[in-house]
Amino acid sequence: MDDKKELLKEQLYQACEENLEGPDETAYSRSFSQDDLQSLSICRELKIDLKTLMGLVQSLTNDRRFIPLQSATGPVWRLRPEEEANKYRGLEKDQVLVYSWIDNAGGEGIWQQTLRNKTGITQDQQFKNILKQLEAKRLITSFMSVQNASHKCWIKASIKPSIKATGGPWYADGDLDESFINILLNVVFDFIKDQGSYSTRGSGGAPKGASTSPVLPKKVLKGKESEVAIAARGKKRDADAITNDDESTPLKARRSNGQQRILLPMPAGYSNYITLAEITERIAAANITRGTKLKESDVKQLLDVLMYDGRIEEIKVGRRVGYRAVRISKHDPSNFVPGSVPAYDLPSNGLTEAPCGRCPVFELCEEGGPVWAGGCEYFDEWLA
Amino acid sequence: MSWQVTKNAAELCVLLIRELYGQLPSRIFEILMSTGRSTVQQLGRISSTSLRNVRHGLAVLVQQNLVYHYTDSDNSRTIYEANHYYAYNIVRNGKILDCTHRNYGEAAKRIVHLVMASGHMRVGSIVDAYLKSHGKLANNVNGSSEPTNGHENGDDPFDDAAEEEPQISGYQVLDDIAHLVAIGILEPLSPKMLQSPEDIKSEVDKDLMKAYPSGLRGKQKGEHESRVVNTVREIRNRSQHLKMQLEPTYLYGSGAKRRKLANGDRTHGFSAANDDDPIEKLNPLTNLYVQDGILLRVNYEKCLVELRNQRLCQFVDDNIGYTTAQVYGAMLTALSKKLSCCQPDPQDDSIDPMNPPTVTTIEIFEYLKASVDVFGGIGKPSTDQINVTSAEKVERNPPSGDGDGDEAGYDAQASIEEPDDDDVDMEMVNGHHLNGTHGGDDGEVSGQNGTKKYEGLGPTKAERMQRMRQHLLLLAESGIQFVRHSGTRDQGEWTVDFEILIRQLRFLELDTIIEDTFGREGLRLIKILRAKGKIDDKALPTMALMQKGDVHMKMVEMELAGFLDVQEVPRDNNRVAARTLFLWFFDEHRTLTRTLDNTYKAMVRHLQRLEVEGQKKKNILSIVERTDVQGMEQEKLSGDAFNEYQQFLDIQSRLLGQVSKLDDLVSVLRDY
Repeated sequence: MDDKKELLKEQLYQACEENLEGPDETAYSRSFSQDDLQSLSICRELKIDLKTLMGLVQSLTNDRRFIPLQSATGPVWRLRPEEEANKYRGLEKDQVLVYSWIDNAGGEGIWQQTLRNKTGITQDQQFKNILKQLEAKRLITSFMSVQNASHKCWIKASIKPSIKATGGPWYADGDLDESFINILLNVVFDFIKDQGSYSTRGSGGAPKGASTSPVLPKKVLKGKESEVAIAARGKKRDADAITNDDESTPLKARRSNGQQRILLPMPAGYSNYITLAEITERIAAANITRGTKLKESDVKQLLDVLMYDGRIEEIKVGRRVGYRAVRISKHDPSNFVPGSVPAYDLPSNGLTEAPCGRCPVFELCEEGGPVWAGGCEYFDEWLA
Repeated sequence: MSWQVTKNAAELCVLLIRELYGQLPSRIFEILMSTGRSTVQQLGRISSTSLRNVRHGLAVLVQQNLVYHYTDSDNSRTIYEANHYYAYNIVRNGKILDCTHRNYGEAAKRIVHLVMASGHMRVGSIVDAYLKSHGKLANNVNGSSEPTNGHENGDDPFDDAAEEEPQISGYQVLDDIAHLVAIGILEPLSPKMLQSPEDIKSEVDKDLMKAYPSGLRGKQKGEHESRVVNTVREIRNRSQHLKMQLEPTYLYGSGAKRRKLANGDRTHGFSAANDDDPIEKLNPLTNLYVQDGILLRVNYEKCLVELRNQRLCQFVDDNIGYTTAQVYGAMLTALSKKLSCCQPDPQDDSIDPMNPPTVTTIEIFEYLKASVDVFGGIGKPSTDQINVTSAEKVERNPPSGDGDGDEAGYDAQASIEEPDDDDVDMEMVNGHHLNGTHGGDDGEVSGQNGTKKYEGLGPTKAERMQRMRQHLLLLAESGIQFVRHSGTRDQGEWTVDFEILIRQLRFLELDTIIEDTFGREGLRLIKILRAKGKIDDKALPTMALMQKGDVHMKMVEMELAGFLDVQEVPRDNNRVAARTLFLWFFDEHRTLTRTLDNTYKAMVRHLQRLEVEGQKKKNILSIVERTDVQGMEQEKLSGDAFNEYQQFLDIQSRLLGQVSKLDDLVSVLRDY
């Protein structure tokens, strides 16, 4: 009887193994319900009744080759590979208890504190000993989770912590590798900028110093030709003198800046903006990620950040989704070092330039209050 | 036209009036702002001023359109009410003059200046004043004097050009005034316009109610409502009659077109009206002259449209490039002919938001300055890298999805129509071919006036137009929806969905402030929130690729500054922090209102500081104010005193310059 049972057990396990699908890493995550087991060909051919089947399952569970789980529809079982099951051999009872929890936690790992609560081993020394013994047998290993930096977690030595636990390629030893990310951001940005712009020697750009921004005449409030305004004019060119430059300078400027390199936007419908796949490929080819291979989803994360930073935009031409840099003509390619933070003039407006826009006590500022415009030292500084 | 007057905004209006019209009017305005509608007697009591003085002050305010007044027909009491809209616009006077000068020339600027200085003016007085101050009185009114387009553009426009300027006739001035009215920069003033909108409405209401002596019942109510709305609109539109009369000649007529083409440059076109057939427009002109009793004032709503064009050009210049911005400017000029204000009244059903006015490529080309080098400013990749179908994509309807974030906007594309491929291909190839031949020698073209060179050996008009179209297509393709390619008539129809565009511009201004205050990381976090809506505390670090601690610090910093809000959602009844979700979000409306108020406050502070600086240099300024010193400060003041005076002027120009920059911000956040 026992021999027969042993044989049936092996046959059942093998039948289940044959029913696994997909690549090796994920195959063992398939779970079998009672119905699944009963509909296996072996059960039908040998007419194994339910009672025998349950006996076999129980026996396999004891052998650690079946992992019992609870699902919404009732109990299910998952297979454990033979070699994994073998690791349970030669372990003491407490060690088995601890190891099975760690084993079941999989790639996520399990926090030491949780482990202790679940196993119910109350004695601190004993618990630590067990972990130490298991570690010595090279069955388990510890790591720090990214989610909770102070949590020491345990995982089977044979597998690597999951991305959720390590944070993916952006983390080195549990810390966010910010310099790595920043370099990659700049590299990706360079790729995008290079392929999505047209580099030429100064023509068609705005003449330096004469922008379209409205430079207003002095003495705006009076709106009159007061003596004050006339006197002020002695020192600076007035608004219209500057605006009128627009008419004549494109040609003049072109001559003087003739040798300066500038970037121009591509015409509408340009179908060669770099795509996600191309960027991923180029990063891999450039071999700048220290052996970690970046997947498209990782690169997409970088692209998202660049978009949130307002440095690039997504552009759909036909079916092709490409990326291009914004404010391209504002980039100065002449003093450009690849991979560095690009020369980038930040936009400004009335509030950011004025002392009030960056005043730490702006809320308190009040005529007759402790802070007021007349005695404001930020104004003193600004007007000096 | 309606905006909330905060404490800071009120303070700002009062300061502006004080700066320009003195203590008394500003004091009265201040009382009107704080107490609301008042009679002369009430004003006298509150200000402890004699009624005589109150009347003096009110006269100034009325003259400058700064108060509404309304006389009740029942008890013939007159009530005054502050017009904060006009008061705020004082700060824009300089900008408007500058803009008028740039777009319509020197003469137009002078006229607007005259009208602005006196609030409102009779047509006759404008002509008289103009002739008196600029140019000798011409005897013959028949317009035989030489045209003014000899006036070089490069001249200092503020120069008192009276010495050299050719003679100007009254007709010419009238012509210019008529043009300004047709454009809408000047508007005829009727007594009704000095009444507050509420008063007009209640009066109309009262009038119409006479038809229902027994009160309104049931259906009558709705009927009555709509009649009131219609009548009010009719009253408002009454001032448009003159504009409509003048429009055919000055904006759409053959004369207007010819004038532009003949001169090439629009800034000149304005004063060069003389070569037109005088009979052609004698009619509306004489009309205007006969009715010289008509009062004119500056229409700030239309001026805002012009200022908005300028700001948007700058926006394009910043985002795409100089040349494209010039093309965009031409496009906006063409388009704004059809726009009378920036934010159309939602009640006005004559404007269909689904069908905004459009302009065609040909129309735009008429407005393109000859000096704009349309062959530059865009890269020149090989032709096979261009997807023509995508570039020429036509979107007939404005983007419907009012997306949460600026990123969301351009995903939701309404119906897209594919134009006929072969046809367009031809045009494109043509455009690129040109490109190749002219790209190289562009730099060689010299001479101060590009137009003349081009005429002989340069590209033809059609080629230029094709290249200009490329700039428009580039604008249409941009993630920021500068223009929408809305049709294919006349080589393409174009429109601007201002509401969506201005919203992006607002975000841009906010972003600038955020980036400046909280750095790039702060901006990144805010943009994530704007794109995604409400987000759990824990999800943010992964999205922003930032350290958890850094994220928290930034978020709290920004929350304290009022840019962010957090909502706590407890997961159970205990409300402990560990069992609570913290959802961050970005409240667009609140942030805008706050920033706007901060901007008012900053403006107020700048003006206050100016007063203090003036107090510091009081003794010198009092000398400068003397009539015998004015105009010859350098000779009359001693060296030290003159230097000090110069210092003050420097400080003054910095402060006022900053105020006008702050006003740029207010315009974007509130008015455009």
